[in-house]
Amino acid sequence: MTFAVENGVFAYGGGRRVLDGISFSVSAGELLAILGPNGAGKTTLLRCMMGFLKWRAGRSTLDGRDIRTYTPDRLWRRMAYVPQARKAAVSFTVGELVLLGRGSRFSLFSQPSREDVRKAEEALDRLRLSHLAGRKCAELSGGELQMALIARALAAEPELLILDEPESNLDFRNQLVVLDTMTELARDGVTCIFNTHYPAHALRMAGRSLLLRGDGRAECGDSRDIITERSLREAFGVEAVIGEVETPHNIYYDVLPIRAAEPAPASEIQPKKQTEESTMETRIAIIGIIVEDRTAAEKINELLHEHASYVVGRMGMPYPKKDISIISVIVDAPEDVIAKLSGKLGMLHGVSIKTTYSRH
Amino acid sequence: MHLDTTSRRVSPFTWALLIVLPLITACIALGIGRYSLTPVETLTVIYRRIAGLPISDANAAIVLFGIRLPRVLLALLVGAGLSAAGTAFQSLFANPLATPDTLGVASGASLGAVVGLFLGVSLISVQLLALAGGLLAVALTILVSRGGRSRGIITMVLSGMILGSLFSALISLFKYVADPESQLPSITYWLMGSLNTASYKNLILGAPFLIAGILMLALLRWRLNILPLSEDEARATGTNLPLLRGLTVVSATMITASAVSMCGQVGWVGLLIPHICRMLWGADNRRLIPASVSLGAVFMVIVDTLARTLTAAELPVSILTAVIGAPVFIALLRKTGGWQL
Repeated sequence: MTFAVENGVFAYGGGRRVLDGISFSVSAGELLAILGPNGAGKTTLLRCMMGFLKWRAGRSTLDGRDIRTYTPDRLWRRMAYVPQARKAAVSFTVGELVLLGRGSRFSLFSQPSREDVRKAEEALDRLRLSHLAGRKCAELSGGELQMALIARALAAEPELLILDEPESNLDFRNQLVVLDTMTELARDGVTCIFNTHYPAHALRMAGRSLLLRGDGRAECGDSRDIITERSLREAFGVEAVIGEVETPHNIYYDVLPIRAAEPAPASEIQPKKQTEESTMETRIAIIGIIVEDRTAAEKINELLHEHASYVVGRMGMPYPKKDISIISVIVDAPEDVIAKLSGKLGMLHGVSIKTTYSRH
Repeated sequence: MHLDTTSRRVSPFTWALLIVLPLITACIALGIGRYSLTPVETLTVIYRRIAGLPISDANAAIVLFGIRLPRVLLALLVGAGLSAAGTAFQSLFANPLATPDTLGVASGASLGAVVGLFLGVSLISVQLLALAGGLLAVALTILVSRGGRSRGIITMVLSGMILGSLFSALISLFKYVADPESQLPSITYWLMGSLNTASYKNLILGAPFLIAGILMLALLRWRLNILPLSEDEARATGTNLPLLRGLTVVSATMITASAVSMCGQVGWVGLLIPHICRMLWGADNRRLIPASVSLGAVFMVIVDTLARTLTAAELPVSILTAVIGAPVFIALLRKTGGWQL
């Protein structure tokens, strides 16, 4: 499955272009975060992407075909939409709500079959919500309702999930539950595109990010490349520090906002981040990697291959007794290249890493 | 056994009750009146008629088949239809206060009937005019709400309200100029709603529309659950939304217009019964539509039986539905603490 937006342009009425030349594509199992300040058009982008709003120019494609050429039921079998959790007008039970996700699977005049009911139950089960099936939606907490809405989307057995600020309005723990659910789904091959207000969430779990700037343009790429202290200042007008937090298992990246700064006028924003790295001094670093999930090994090789020019040496050894592999990589590279590589490695499932830098 | 956790269970016993209850009520109602019969006697007469056996009590046969049966049939149909239409419209407009008349059907149908009564045409022509008026009113409402830039459901409701009040004004105009000796009483009485004009001729003209509407809503019953979702969510279910909305409006309109054409405006049924059913069986239209059809039929037969037997002269049925409906509604309001679908 490949979903892409090709050169999408949108404006409300005759106004300025809210979105101007947006292009990106995602393939199976990818997580794409859409970031941007309030009013930059995050929700508009989602709605255009799914065909709820009409692109002025450009198009959305699913496997290369314009989504407008799909009939609604064909399209919505393959992608699903998770709206923000709001109290609904109708007090359905969670089970009834989730069953609505099967709407694309049978004709207008039919009733849901046993199979449909079973799929809805599976979706509930997958998110460990079965115990809520009989509860009324109005009685749920915000976190539970958001999870129920994700279950409804999953009931359609989609390949692509589009979520509108899935972790907004949720408490600390529920944010994690939702984010982890998305990570899990992506690992199972369900592509997720989501809007978020939190750059840290994008850094932490999304392989790729799309940053909308106020002027309708966007940058899309690896989260570590897109979300930088500089881009945060330019797009959000926030002076922030992106820091690493090391735990015994992994390195996490977090965004620590320091203060609100004047956002740069759109004209001054550089179209693409400058490659400051080339001018920087290089450092030696040892990246120690423990791989507990074999499927990650291939991804690691890919990443190391991309950075082959920096790699000084590498050693790998399997440890059959515990069914793991241990890899040690020595690189000589600019500091931020090392940090990004560590970050990408650390984001892989079943991988623990630690990076030790030389002093100079 | 497979346990359907996606739906609140309705026991087979309840379903059986919902099927049998209208029949029992109808059977009892057939026996009630100045010429009274026990349910057993009623059943015997009906059985002998169907089996082609001679009926000893000729009067009973005349009262039963000539007078009461069409009336009870009409009550069953109108009650079932208006409740189903109310349920569907409450879903369509995501509003618990929506009634079958929200798009101005009933006002339009009434206007048609009033024109007929004013012109002094036959009862069947009055019914035809009412039917046409109702359908025309909704067509007009949709046309008006389509014209502008916004095509939302809210625009449709507002257009319905505006046209409804326009039709009411026109009805007042006709009442104002009607002959106060002969025409005015018949217009007023008709507007209050009564089933006493029920005849097989009436039924043949109105019932097919009404039954078709109910069947259509019954087929769409699960899809009706999608209507109250927000626009984006509803579209994301992969449903052909314009078609679903169109079919819902057409079905409810056919039901309401033919109900009004047969027995005038009967208020409250389309509001009261769906809400009682929601309280008992939850919001899923898969249960709500059949339950509303059944309880609506029962309610209407009871109310109509009261209307024709409570006093020596017949009471207009709307007065009774309001007298019963208002207190029940207030009780519901207090119990649920507000309105919810």
